[in-house]
Amino acid sequence: MELRIENLSKTYPNGVQALRGVTLTIPRGMFGLLGPNGAGKSTLMRILATLQEPDTGSVRLGDIDVLNEKDRVRRTLGYLPQEFGLYPKATAEELLEHFAVLKGIGNRRERREIVKALLEQTNLYEVRKRKLGTFSGGMRQRFGIAIALLGNPQLIIVDEPTAGLDPAERVRFLNLLSELGENAVVILSTHIVEDVSELCSRMAIISHGRILLEGEPQAGIEALRGRIWRKVVAKDELAAYEASHRVISTRLLAGRTVIHVEADAQPDPTFEPVEADLEDVYFSAMLGAGDRSALASAGAGL
Amino acid sequence: MSRRFLEIVRFELAYYLRRISTYAYFAIFFALGLLVVSAIGGAFQSVSVGIGGSDGNVYVNSPYVMAVLISSLSLFSVLVTAAVMGHAVYRDYDARIDPLFFTQPIRKLEYLGGRFTGAMLVNLLIFASIPLGLAVACKLPFLDPERLGPFRLAVFVQPFLVFVVPNVLLSGAIFFTLAALTRMMLPNYVGGVIMLVGYMIGASLTTDLDHQTLAALADPFASGAHAIVTKYWTVAERNTRLVPLSGLFLYNRLIWLGVAAAIAAFGFWRFRFAHADGGTRTLLGRRRGIQATSSAHPTSPEGTAPAGPASHALALPAVTPRFDLGLRIRQYVTLTRRAFSEIVRSVYFHALVGAGLLFLGFSAPQVGKLYGTTTYPVTYAALEILTGTFALFMTVIIAFYAGELVWRERDLKANQVHDALPVPTGLPFLAKLTALSLVIAVLLTVILVAGVVTQALKGYFRFELGLYARTLYLMRFSDYVLAAVLALAVHSVVNHKYMGHMIVILYYVFRMFMSELGLEHGLYRYGSTAGELYSDMNGYGPFVTPYFWFRLYWAGVAVLLALATNLFWVRGEESGWRWRLHLARQRITPRLAGGAALAVALVAGTGGFIFYNTNILNEYRTARDTERDLAEYERRYKRFEGLPQPRIVAVDVDVALYPEEGSFTAKGEYRVVNRSDVAIDSVHVLIPRSAEIRALSFGRGERLELEDPERGYRIFRLGTPLQPNDTAVFTFDLAYLSRGFENKVSNTDVVENGSFVHSTMLPSFGYDSRIELSLDRTRRKYGLEPKERMAPVDDPAARMNNYISHDADWVDFAATVSTSPDQIAIAPGYLVREWEEGGRRYFRYEMDAPILHFYSFLSARYAVKRDRWRDVAIEVYYHPGHEYNLDRMIESVKRSLEYFTENFGPYQHRQVRIVEFPRYASFAQAFPNTIPYSEGIGFIARIENEEKDVDYPFYVTAHEVAHQWWAHQVIGGNVQGATLLSETLAQYSALMVMEREYGPQQMKRFLRHELDNYLLGRSMEAKKEVPLLLVENQGYIHYNKGSLVMYALRDYIGEERLNAALRAFLEETKFQGPPYANSLELLAHLEAATPDSLRYILDDLFHTITLYENKATAATFTEQGDGTYRVTLTVEARKLRADSLGNEVEVPVDDWIDIGVFGERREGRKVEETTLYLAKHRVTSGTNVIEVQVNERPVRAGIDPLHKLIDRHTDDNVVAVRPGG
Repeated sequence: MELRIENLSKTYPNGVQALRGVTLTIPRGMFGLLGPNGAGKSTLMRILATLQEPDTGSVRLGDIDVLNEKDRVRRTLGYLPQEFGLYPKATAEELLEHFAVLKGIGNRRERREIVKALLEQTNLYEVRKRKLGTFSGGMRQRFGIAIALLGNPQLIIVDEPTAGLDPAERVRFLNLLSELGENAVVILSTHIVEDVSELCSRMAIISHGRILLEGEPQAGIEALRGRIWRKVVAKDELAAYEASHRVISTRLLAGRTVIHVEADAQPDPTFEPVEADLEDVYFSAMLGAGDRSALASAGAGL
Repeated sequence: MSRRFLEIVRFELAYYLRRISTYAYFAIFFALGLLVVSAIGGAFQSVSVGIGGSDGNVYVNSPYVMAVLISSLSLFSVLVTAAVMGHAVYRDYDARIDPLFFTQPIRKLEYLGGRFTGAMLVNLLIFASIPLGLAVACKLPFLDPERLGPFRLAVFVQPFLVFVVPNVLLSGAIFFTLAALTRMMLPNYVGGVIMLVGYMIGASLTTDLDHQTLAALADPFASGAHAIVTKYWTVAERNTRLVPLSGLFLYNRLIWLGVAAAIAAFGFWRFRFAHADGGTRTLLGRRRGIQATSSAHPTSPEGTAPAGPASHALALPAVTPRFDLGLRIRQYVTLTRRAFSEIVRSVYFHALVGAGLLFLGFSAPQVGKLYGTTTYPVTYAALEILTGTFALFMTVIIAFYAGELVWRERDLKANQVHDALPVPTGLPFLAKLTALSLVIAVLLTVILVAGVVTQALKGYFRFELGLYARTLYLMRFSDYVLAAVLALAVHSVVNHKYMGHMIVILYYVFRMFMSELGLEHGLYRYGSTAGELYSDMNGYGPFVTPYFWFRLYWAGVAVLLALATNLFWVRGEESGWRWRLHLARQRITPRLAGGAALAVALVAGTGGFIFYNTNILNEYRTARDTERDLAEYERRYKRFEGLPQPRIVAVDVDVALYPEEGSFTAKGEYRVVNRSDVAIDSVHVLIPRSAEIRALSFGRGERLELEDPERGYRIFRLGTPLQPNDTAVFTFDLAYLSRGFENKVSNTDVVENGSFVHSTMLPSFGYDSRIELSLDRTRRKYGLEPKERMAPVDDPAARMNNYISHDADWVDFAATVSTSPDQIAIAPGYLVREWEEGGRRYFRYEMDAPILHFYSFLSARYAVKRDRWRDVAIEVYYHPGHEYNLDRMIESVKRSLEYFTENFGPYQHRQVRIVEFPRYASFAQAFPNTIPYSEGIGFIARIENEEKDVDYPFYVTAHEVAHQWWAHQVIGGNVQGATLLSETLAQYSALMVMEREYGPQQMKRFLRHELDNYLLGRSMEAKKEVPLLLVENQGYIHYNKGSLVMYALRDYIGEERLNAALRAFLEETKFQGPPYANSLELLAHLEAATPDSLRYILDDLFHTITLYENKATAATFTEQGDGTYRVTLTVEARKLRADSLGNEVEVPVDDWIDIGVFGERREGRKVEETTLYLAKHRVTSGTNVIEVQVNERPVRAGIDPLHKLIDRHTDDNVVAVRPGG
């Protein structure tokens, strides 16, 4: 089973073009969708989660027409939105039971088992009697994953799950994500490059509603191998370098500016080679789209 | 004042003046003012509303009406102050800008004080719209100029200052404090509603005469206090006097301004000028929980993280989701449970229900009270009062939680997770509706428990659980579920929470005015029925069938609403209409379409059936249709008034009642005579329009010359004219057939158990002016001249008829009444034969002496209690179960017969029958030897303490028995003063019987109510008040003032002398035909019986409207050596004469008035008042000093201490006596 997205476009009533002819094929396994804020990730996620309607295009999950057979999709969907709330006065166990029924697990014994298993897997078993209103951000996020995993989902969509988590929570959460079944299509949308590099076997980079790059993270890194060069420059030299080189990222380091430049060969000896990583792939792709502002914001996010 | 403070005030003002809501609030109250004044000012043809007497002689722009309007509109201001004042403090938290403020160098007082002042100024600005809107409205050109008085600015400004400003300060202080201390907005919204609803219910409960002062002071918004201090205001006072800023009203305002200041001070004191962290103490002194949506710090240790990154696959137990029917049901159940617990666990629900319970508690004592008397707390009474009290809370809970439920997931931001679940779109709606319905059911159960507990506490154990269940779980439950469907549908489709609430509220307001706008049909009044009234005798009787059909119809509509909701239910992120329509199309499945088709079929089918019943089988008529017909009747036929017509001299009628069908037929004959001196060639016959006419005949070759069935008017031209003194027989055969059901059940004459048919259903002759439109304003609307209510007291033409019939004098009467075999049928007369035939039971009644042309026919499954007084048979026909007061009624009949025969003359019949009928009407009415008596007024009365409670059944019975003399022996002509001869004299006679039985102490209590009712009645007079002698069938004059006047007269001239005068009058006028007696004839007898020195009192009591302002100002005593006491009493006396509108002039006092001195006698714990001295003294205008000597130590003394004279301030008549020199 794989997810085939073809030529998906969506324009909001205020004129914002959220998606422009997005075409993607997503196989089983973890798929990272990387892009800056406002790139159209969430719109795409919501369309896949049957919550929004595209203007054109089609989406198929195996033999399911996602846009027109919403109920079939929902039966096999696990969705963790970017931001979500929970009934503050319900307990974790109580609410997970509730969601289990809504996900179609009618058999009482099965439901008990899966709820217990999920609470254990998400490390919430000990707090199962606590009211959700008292949960921390990380606990809520893990609880969200527990909901998403109910009922053997074949399509799991996780939208910006690590935003707002402290480092420890983030590690715990990514560990959990990494354990997601190998039988499902798992789409992880994020603007944090490390989330993808650590977890995903395949990825796509999206910006301004367009797919800039699609493939395996490792292949992307391979493609840049030996092409990324680093130099520490003064702040006032930056403009000149940007004019003459393909500067894919800049960052401040102890008052000086470190730039990464993409070039087939060493631009000059003052540049030193660096091992390309996914971040460089991301910035390179973004720059390829001529998106300096996106670059700047992504840079700030790192 | 610091600059920072002023800056904060300025900023606050500027902030609100930029907000659209400020202008919206202003516009709403301005528009309300315009609307109300236009409505009462006669701008809308079809609307007829009156406020504060503005439908009579009180001007629309009078100070009184404006004060009432401004004070009532200012009540609604709590909703706005709750929002504005709350927002003034809350918005900093909402915008999370509070840390920025709190770190500025501002002092708490400057910050809060500035905000408070600014917001308060904004509020006052907003509510300036109330007087402004009203003032502008009073200048509108399309108002009826006759209803406007001179324009005065103070009329608008002064009430603004005394109502609006203090009320806004009070509610502002409350809501500012609430928001500042809770740092939340919702308590304000809920608090605003609770305050308003609570106030309205509270106001309706404080009507007790004994606690008026307390009620006036305890009223936070003073509209009730205003009503109390102005309650006796006459038309003239209402038109000229501003709100009196003195006495009780002034104290009220000062008290509540003080409370406002105290609350504000409390708020300032408790407010913490610091960030709201988890440890902030709130108003209730509790720690706040951490917001679910914030990423706040963990408050307790959590589960340990797995050690290091693990890459093993997640091992979860296998599950097999199965989306079968069983699962759908489980999903429905779990969603319902979730929604239900979201409602009942919310603190606002607890607040609303708590407030509701509080008011249930307040209103429970009202169960079993009826016009200030006590009744048994029967189940229907408990249901009516408790559901009535709770109704507003129910409505608020439904409207509020419909919005909350629809928005719950979105408010929590849980909607995306939910919307992506494999749950059918209609299921959440269905679950939410079910949850809301469950909440309704639970609350109804609360009412049931409250009802049963109330009954038990009152020592009444006849719980009718079946009636509780039927009324609550079928009728009220379906009312509220229909309301819930509508509110949920509105919120789902509108998809904007506050707009949704606004639309629901507007809908309720619109509903209240629908019938005023002439929109009366149940087919377009959502959830309406044909009315309901429970009777112990007849159950829900005639209301059941239409109820069922209307409910079915509206259930169909509700299903359609639910289906529409399903189509437009917002699921996912698309809320634009384009996509919602797109999704709606996607959601139309064959099953849904099939359901919709079924619902449409149901609506069309039941709607058609209802229409067939209400508009084809029956006539659908609005109140306006009736008015128009009456106007047309007058225009067309007034010219025939006074035309010589036959007089009825004998009646023999065969009335067949069909209780199961609600029908009856009346077949019979009138023997008629031409008493005029000209031949009658055409007869004008009036028959109610609902009659089916099967035959009408004079047997004189007559021809139908005019037939106007709309107005029930027919003119027959006789082939052989009826010569003077010639006799004819008029035969008629009418059928009143109940077909199907009406839009509003009005025909309760013949019902399954408890039929009561009046003789007005039979034909009558000649134009009857008594049914003309009487209200001048309504008359003007239809182009008719204003008219006098009654002909002058000595109008010879009008005296040719008595005031209850216009085509007969004294008639011979016989009737055959038939009914179902298990019922007893009754008509005036003596039962001469009873038989069964063709499965029906027949009764033949014949009267042995002429009676008035005024009778009725009754039938029900009666039990009978019999007794005798000398040779008079006494029978009470009652509903089994209503035995409570039979003995009191019988005793009253006996005592009455005794007193009346002894004092006035013999009883003309050999029998007195009291006959119970259902509470579709709540009166007792005296027909010859027969007294129909509503089950609602005497049969369930409860007299527990004979010393304290007025024995209501005893009194009513005595009054009705007295009518056998005062109405059925002497009857007044159809002129002013007619009811003095019947109602006032019956009232006096009953008082005498009651006093003989219960003593003068009871009289005092009774007369106090009579005084209150008289003064209230005259303040609501719509046309003109007249002296008792000229009473124009005005209840407050002939009953209430009549009691006071006759009791006072008896006090002055003595019972024996008065009774002798009445007896002489009766002797003179007994069974007198035309010209009928008038009140002047009675007065001549009274004058003859009154010594010259007291003649003036007849002027005061009968000829004029006289009011006293008697007052004791000081009283001292000195102890004489011989154990006696000399009391020196200073009193003031004023006497006022009022004109028909209540304009008063003072007249000199030179009157004999009671002076009394009272002592106290202790018997154990009881302190009893003893009368030491009571005698009439000559009192003159101004200050009088009176000395009397008593034998015991005096405690209190005063002038007119027993309130025999009409005095608006009875509480200043007596003062404490102090020792003095």
